[in-house]
Amino acid sequence: MTLGGEHGRRAEERWRRRRGLERRLHDGPALRLSALSLRLGVLRADAPDGNEAWRQGLDEFADELAAALQELRDVAAAIYPPLLDEAGLGPALRELVAASGGRARVDADGVRAGTAAEGAAYFATAACLAADRDAPVDVRVRVADGHLVLTLSGVDPALHGVVLDEAVPLGGSVGVTDASAEKTEITARFPCA
Amino acid sequence: MRVAVAEDGALFRQGLVMLLEAAGHEVVAVESGGDPLVAVLGTVPADVALLDIRMPPEPDGGLVTAERLRAAHPDMGLLFLSHYAESHYLMRILEIGTDRIGYRLKEKVGSVEVLSDTLARIADGEIVIEPELAKRLVERPRGEKRDPVSTLSERERDVLKLMAEGRSNNGIASTLYVSGKAVEKHVANIFDKLGLHADTSAHHRRVLAVLTYLRSQRGDA
Repeated sequence: MTLGGEHGRRAEERWRRRRGLERRLHDGPALRLSALSLRLGVLRADAPDGNEAWRQGLDEFADELAAALQELRDVAAAIYPPLLDEAGLGPALRELVAASGGRARVDADGVRAGTAAEGAAYFATAACLAADRDAPVDVRVRVADGHLVLTLSGVDPALHGVVLDEAVPLGGSVGVTDASAEKTEITARFPCA
Repeated sequence: MRVAVAEDGALFRQGLVMLLEAAGHEVVAVESGGDPLVAVLGTVPADVALLDIRMPPEPDGGLVTAERLRAAHPDMGLLFLSHYAESHYLMRILEIGTDRIGYRLKEKVGSVEVLSDTLARIADGEIVIEPELAKRLVERPRGEKRDPVSTLSERERDVLKLMAEGRSNNGIASTLYVSGKAVEKHVANIFDKLGLHADTSAHHRRVLAVLTYLRSQRGDA
């Protein structure tokens, strides 16, 4: 199954590049900073006895390193969550819901649909869940006829636009069950690679 | 303590060996992937193996390596070090074992005290989980203030305590002198009261129930 023409191919390539950037962050700066935090631990163990100022300085240094690593993780998650690549939409979305203390339910058993469709569906869902973290949204993911089909039940119909933003570049489509209701069901179709 | 290391990032691997030695541990093996570590540990004894999750054999070679080590050396402790602390991997780790096992962020073991404490607890048979991850797993949805463990009946709390000690339903039944069916009913009530619903597997719910209990015991639920 291929994406719709040149347009879709370029969108697919963009998603692959995003995934590649996350890997570079992990294998490059993140690993380098983690290694530094260990070297710092060695220095701290060797600190002269009774020199509290020295130790305290090193502790502050270690805290700063941990904060930088957390910021790198946050950036990586906004580029392409590594769990999405490694385990698919189900685990990645459940992790997102758990980390943000949300109440959404995710049903995506074992679905794999390629870097682009999974990336687009993930960020479309993330944007909808971020709009109202306390909403008990039902997220359902399936693959049918060469498309990843994402169904979001219990969302504001106005979120149609943010889902469209992710689906259109891949040549996908979005439907809303009842645009006048307070909460409705949005169904998006993303072509698989 | 005798420790073995498998990590594919050279800088981190070197740093880890330096810190382990500064903490007074004996590093008996250092490898850049899981397969060579399994081979070396076939002849060299170790108390705890430190494993990166994302390393060869890819993509999550640390987990495959741990399964093989656990099968060959059931008494060897396993400590996973990763750049990410995620419940998805914690569940997979707990499927490998729920004792002598740990999962921590790479930068959080960056002191002699924390590293040695983590290793000692694992060698003693405990399970050590990155605190931030354990907290996130048992956090209640916003707006629910009550400690869910306090809603359990006395008998349900007894059952949960035995679950936390790693007992099976049969083991709990014989300890409490009740039928297996009764234990199953208590366990279902516990899952229900702790808000662990049927969209996760029984094994995962059991682990989450235990984590909730442990947090409640520590008073930071």
